[in-house]
Amino acid sequence: MDGAGGDAMAPVVEFHDVTVAYAGRPVLWHVDLVIRGPALYGIVGPNGAGKSTLLKAALGLVPLAGGRVTFDGGALADSRARVGYVPQRETVDWGFPVNVMDVVLMGTYGRLGWFRRPGRRERDVAGECLRRVGLADLAGRQIGRLSGGQQQRVFLARALAQEAVIYLLDEPMAGVDAGSQELIFGVLDSLRAAGRLVIVVHHDLRSAAGWFDGVALVDMRVVAAGPTAAVLTAENLRRTYAGQPAVLEELARAVAAGGRTP
Amino acid sequence: MSPSVTGIESFHLWNIATAMAVAAPCALVGTLLVARRLSLLGDAIAHAVLPGIVIAVLAGGRPGGWLTMIGAVAAAIVTASIATAVASNSVGVGEDAATGVGFTTMFALGVILVSVAASRVDLDTACVLYGELELSAFDTVPVAGLEIPRGFITGCLLFAGVGLALCLSWKEQVLAAFDPAAARALGLPVAGLSVALLVGTALTTVAGFDAVGGVLVVTMLVAPAAAAELLVSRLHHVAAVAVAIGMAAGAIGYLAAWRLDTGAAGMIAVVLGAVYAVAALVAPEHGILARALGAVALRWRVAREDFLAAAWRAAEGGTATVPRGWAAWPVARWLAAEGAVGWTPTGWRLTPTGRARAETIVRSHRLWEAWLGRNVDLPLDHLHPPAEWVEHHIGSAVRAILAAEVGDSVADPHGRSIPPESPPPAGRAR
Repeated sequence: MDGAGGDAMAPVVEFHDVTVAYAGRPVLWHVDLVIRGPALYGIVGPNGAGKSTLLKAALGLVPLAGGRVTFDGGALADSRARVGYVPQRETVDWGFPVNVMDVVLMGTYGRLGWFRRPGRRERDVAGECLRRVGLADLAGRQIGRLSGGQQQRVFLARALAQEAVIYLLDEPMAGVDAGSQELIFGVLDSLRAAGRLVIVVHHDLRSAAGWFDGVALVDMRVVAAGPTAAVLTAENLRRTYAGQPAVLEELARAVAAGGRTP
Repeated sequence: MSPSVTGIESFHLWNIATAMAVAAPCALVGTLLVARRLSLLGDAIAHAVLPGIVIAVLAGGRPGGWLTMIGAVAAAIVTASIATAVASNSVGVGEDAATGVGFTTMFALGVILVSVAASRVDLDTACVLYGELELSAFDTVPVAGLEIPRGFITGCLLFAGVGLALCLSWKEQVLAAFDPAAARALGLPVAGLSVALLVGTALTTVAGFDAVGGVLVVTMLVAPAAAAELLVSRLHHVAAVAVAIGMAAGAIGYLAAWRLDTGAAGMIAVVLGAVYAVAALVAPEHGILARALGAVALRWRVAREDFLAAAWRAAEGGTATVPRGWAAWPVARWLAAEGAVGWTPTGWRLTPTGRARAETIVRSHRLWEAWLGRNVDLPLDHLHPPAEWVEHHIGSAVRAILAAEVGDSVADPHGRSIPPESPPPAGRAR
């Protein structure tokens, strides 16, 4: 498939026949997915469906057992600066000795490259990003003293500071208060309005219907993908949340153990 | 021996300089180890380098020389790789267990090598355990006509090398340590940065090994940074404070050992442990003292607020006084000094400012009860006790939310009226 698709500037992420395995055990099977920007796009599915794994696979954080992922038609290595990643909040140690501004400035490191320190311009950008997520007053605060919603907003500000074109966010609404969730969705929406592609791993179906242009329902494979209204049908949701297909489960276990299914 | 510091022989000064020069790079590397929550890796490496050092010495190297450094780094990397490989191949062993077993086995191997080869090499088990800081001034090399101790030169070179490497890769090291997934997504060589840290740890361990021995060098790696992290909250500040603590402990520990006529290595480690204990005591945020003071301050505030609320409720009930127990006396005197209560022949009476403060407390209390009664299905007798302590923690913003949600009911679930919101107090009272 060609990545251009009309507007040459429009960001696009393509998963082509992607299969991922952890320690020999397949967790995602044959994912074919084309996500075109500008859009606010949701990856939705039950726990353990492989949603986060899909993002990590795209970023090369877990090895692919098969298939490929392209960004704007090219390899990730050619567009790392254009791709912003927000990991799950629990994956980092919030007792780490850095303050809010330090973390947001990390978003500028990719652009700076080695041996250059963040300067005046980077501080201005970071300050502006903090303002956008409503944390301008907390720039000097130790990150461990923030609430869960504030920590998530710091992560979002760091991604904003990267000034990326494609954003991949892993569960940005997990453990977040209603006010922060509203604010985060608002910021993501403004990114879409500015022509960016924002892909969000998300667990809450109710808010998914309200915010996302497009949705992929994932449960070890892509159950359905496309415009939100067309995808979030009762039948598709039943197939996604009915429990993982017994055949895939059995097969994954057999592959991991080097054995054979019953 | 002269008891005065001014009468100290020059070799003591050189030994102190060596202790400080060795402590500085250890503290720098330790800062990253502690920040990554890898303190035990420092411990493990300090043990694992022993066989590498012994083999290098057997091969003709000199303790603290370049050959032993290479031997130590090789041993550290080999062992770390084995531990990681064992853990990632999930042979049913966790990485901590793999590390624990792997590195102690290496250390034991080193101890056996030392005792087997004791006749042929300039190493013994005592040196492995305690180092030989006291003798370091006598192992010198001529530099520009001066006899400089080797240990001092090694320490200085390492400090310069580690410091330079950290300066050049600081932001990458911090990002990789804080958020390895995001660092990898940005294309940073996270694994390479970890290996660099491993190499730095092994090198500084060798320098520390000569000075204070293979066991106590762990303290030099970990304790300064652990103490510094309690005191300051940004990593480059932690690094600076850790270096200062390490160097100071090196000097103080040596002097104390000299005065008490005991081993310098042990005394330096004890001083570092004491510094950590003091840091845990006085740390500004999570320190034992800060928390104790915070608890006392809270109890004092609660006592005063309870007094005001009791006085207000008494007035509401028509008696216009509050019970005066001996325990209430200091509270009342303090509130009188704040201008919140005044003494009258019938007892303590609220002033207008005191009444406003009391109404805020009672309003918080009754709003909370009203809100709970409305939103949580609880019997009436469940409402009062929690409100008794919650009232002290509700601020004006949350009060406004509660008021909006209970829809400006004028009464709490017990049927008593909720006082109106008072204007925020001007000035001091809090």
